[in-house]
Amino acid sequence: ISQSFCIFLLLLPLRESEMNPKRCAACKYLRRRCPKDCIFSPYFPPNDPEKFACIHRIYGAGSVSKMLQQLPVQTRAEAVDSLCFEAKCRVEDPVYGCVGIIYLLQTQIQKAENLLAKTQAEIAVAQTKHSQTPKFDYM
Amino acid sequence: MGGPGSSPCASCKLLRRRCAKDCIFAPYFPPDDPHKFAIVHKVFGASNVSKMLQELPVHQRADAVNSLVFEANARVRDPVYGCVGAISYLQNQVSQLQMQLAVAQAEILCIQMQNEPTLQSHHQVLELDQDHKALLLQNNNNNNINNINNCNSNNNSNNLGYAMSSGQFNSNFASPSSIMQMQMQMQLQDPLKQESLWT
Repeated sequence: ISQSFCIFLLLLPLRESEMNPKRCAACKYLRRRCPKDCIFSPYFPPNDPEKFACIHRIYGAGSVSKMLQQLPVQTRAEAVDSLCFEAKCRVEDPVYGCVGIIYLLQTQIQKAENLLAKTQAEIAVAQTKHSQTPKFDYM
Repeated sequence: MGGPGSSPCASCKLLRRRCAKDCIFAPYFPPDDPHKFAIVHKVFGASNVSKMLQELPVHQRADAVNSLVFEANARVRDPVYGCVGAISYLQNQVSQLQMQLAVAQAEILCIQMQNEPTLQSHHQVLELDQDHKALLLQNNNNNNINNINNCNSNNNSNNLGYAMSSGQFNSNFASPSSIMQMQMQMQLQDPLKQESLWT
């Protein structure tokens, strides 16, 4: 028994070397082994399971994996963050998602442009009025 | 609608399956626009879209599909930032407009003070119309993140207005990353629902 136990102990490090010491949140969620070159592990640390759960709910692990594989490594972190953001927006607003935010911003821009035009017209009128009134010397 | 004798919808054509009479995709993905479903399937996956639509009341599904198509198109155009890139761009536009408005507002106040020399400028409350008061209030909320949490949750435009007038949102050219960090902390409640975005 002690021999088999020793063999088991010897084999343990070999198995551990095939995978990360701690599974990433994605592999934990998917209930699978987390390999050393897991595409998700740099972006889904095990201490934030909600992040992957949200993304998986909207996009699915396969789609996200494909998307990340098509991107250069240095852009993947930003891509994951933007996917998480959009997924969260979609969970909170299942009808419009983050498109609702775009619509609100466009409405704000339109209102601001109208107000700016109105204010600039008022400036023009006020400047005309100012140039027509006699100036007093206060000194 | 799919069914015997009629053309299968775009989704069933792409998925190479029989288009049932009650196919959930058929009303929104007509056979004459295969690209629409192709792009949604590429980004979200057919089963995810099906699940999302099933969770929605029927009268909201058309809008949901349109917003999904929009997001999918944005993601294909910009694989890194997707819609967040568009939000960042629009946010920068709002910031610039707010700065221009603040400058114009200051200018009009100066002119008004010059036109009315009898006023004690630093004690007199100038008459402002509602729009200008709202603008000054919004600008005074800059760098005050607490306003985001205290804003009226029933008013969508105020939600975003307060968020955008906060320091982090209104600071020089918000990057997609900073927007995502801020928005993740925000409670985006009661999103625009009253009327369809697509009418």
